[in-house]
Amino acid sequence: MVCQNCERSEATTHIKRVVNGDTAETHLCADCAAHLGYGDFFSGFGLNLGELFGGILENGLPEAKSAKALRCSKCGCSFEDIVRDGKLGCAQCYTTFYDKLLPSLQRIHGRIEHNGKVSKIAEKSTKKKSHLEKLREDLNAAIEEQNFEQAAKLRDEIKGMEG
Amino acid sequence: MNNKWYIEKGDQGDVVLSTRIRLARNLKDFLFPARLDAKGRQTVNETVRDALMEDNTYEFGYLEMKTLTRSQAVSLAERHLISPEFASSVDGRALMLTKDESVSIMLCEEDHIRLQVMKAGLALQEAYAIADEIDTALDKRLAYAFDERIGYLTQCPTNLGTAMRASVMLHLPALTRIGHINRLASTVSKLGMTIRGAYGEGSSPKGDLYQLSNQITLGITETSALHNLQQIAIQLVNQEREAAKLMLKNPENNDKIWRALGVLQTARLLSGDEFMELISLVRVGAANNILNFGLEQLNELIVNMQAATINAREGKNLTAAERDAVRATAVREALKAEG
Repeated sequence: MVCQNCERSEATTHIKRVVNGDTAETHLCADCAAHLGYGDFFSGFGLNLGELFGGILENGLPEAKSAKALRCSKCGCSFEDIVRDGKLGCAQCYTTFYDKLLPSLQRIHGRIEHNGKVSKIAEKSTKKKSHLEKLREDLNAAIEEQNFEQAAKLRDEIKGMEG
Repeated sequence: MNNKWYIEKGDQGDVVLSTRIRLARNLKDFLFPARLDAKGRQTVNETVRDALMEDNTYEFGYLEMKTLTRSQAVSLAERHLISPEFASSVDGRALMLTKDESVSIMLCEEDHIRLQVMKAGLALQEAYAIADEIDTALDKRLAYAFDERIGYLTQCPTNLGTAMRASVMLHLPALTRIGHINRLASTVSKLGMTIRGAYGEGSSPKGDLYQLSNQITLGITETSALHNLQQIAIQLVNQEREAAKLMLKNPENNDKIWRALGVLQTARLLSGDEFMELISLVRVGAANNILNFGLEQLNELIVNMQAATINAREGKNLTAAERDAVRATAVREALKAEG
């Protein structure tokens, strides 16, 4: 049997995965097996969900390549990188590629709205948001009242919070 | 004897060996582990360690994975305290572990924090309560990566939302023998869950031990996910009990159990595969009062007879043949004069 990856050498590593009753077999030569991370017993032990997820993204979004130009400002990941690895680079990626990720999230989970425990950090940001809204309202009111000294103060405070 | 969680017998202990809750968390100010350099990983590990030390509810040890031998690392995976993946690549990774090994925290695995709570038997609520408590304490001290729309942010989007994987380890020898596992697997997958071999992959997992776990994490509350898993686990427990009763009415199957015990009590060489096959039969015999062994004792034996755990205990890398001899001796000793 020839290696399914390079299609040249004899396949010596045989990987069989059974998840929920579906069997998938992969046959690789020693070099390709090492290259793909099946070099030892344990790297092939678990199912690489990342690969699977990458597959889902790619199949689901053939236009993925057109998103090439956009990169995450924090880690530098492009959407192509995410599709290839099945992994995101950092938390910021979720904001950067949110719209592109949604169809896949829908496919994986069936739903796209979190409905569970809420981190303290979100409680804080909700408070910050409502505080900012209040400041903006006050700012508008101060401008209407032509209270420019107060307006300047409020503007600086808003800038400080947004910074 | 020190009482580790995995050798106790808990609720539904004839079929359910253990319950595990795993929560994935990340720190918002750091890149996810795969993209994080060595220094960044070190900082993440120490930040989480320090946050945990401030909270005194549980006492943790801190272990840099690179200080362990390969056998020691793999042995932790065999005891299900860490993932096999965590054992396979140890650079920049650290483990925090309580003395009784019921709470372990993998640092810089796929996510910055993988908090894991283990309990004997079926104990989803109890295990989650502990995980939730530790998570809340960490949340107070750390800046988690969280989005109001899609929940806890994880390196792989399959874990988004609650980022909780709950699983129960089930011993299903009778259902395996009557060929029901594939049918069950496709049913549970429709319910957003998955069932797979607990030791090794393949259509017939070693020792007939399976992990049943939730698959969906986004859009479902922790409570609902645990409730669903509990319901399915109970159904599987009942089905296994029924199937085992039927199976054991057949004198041939009854005979197989006694023969399995005979081999384990007398063999001079036992491979890992043969041991798992035979101990599974002995365990079903014990669970159905045919053999007089404590299930705790058998559970402990299953954990202790895994290859790397034997190597780690012997303090050296034995050849397969040497290990088979050590295993046979230990099993003979453990199962003698009873039953």
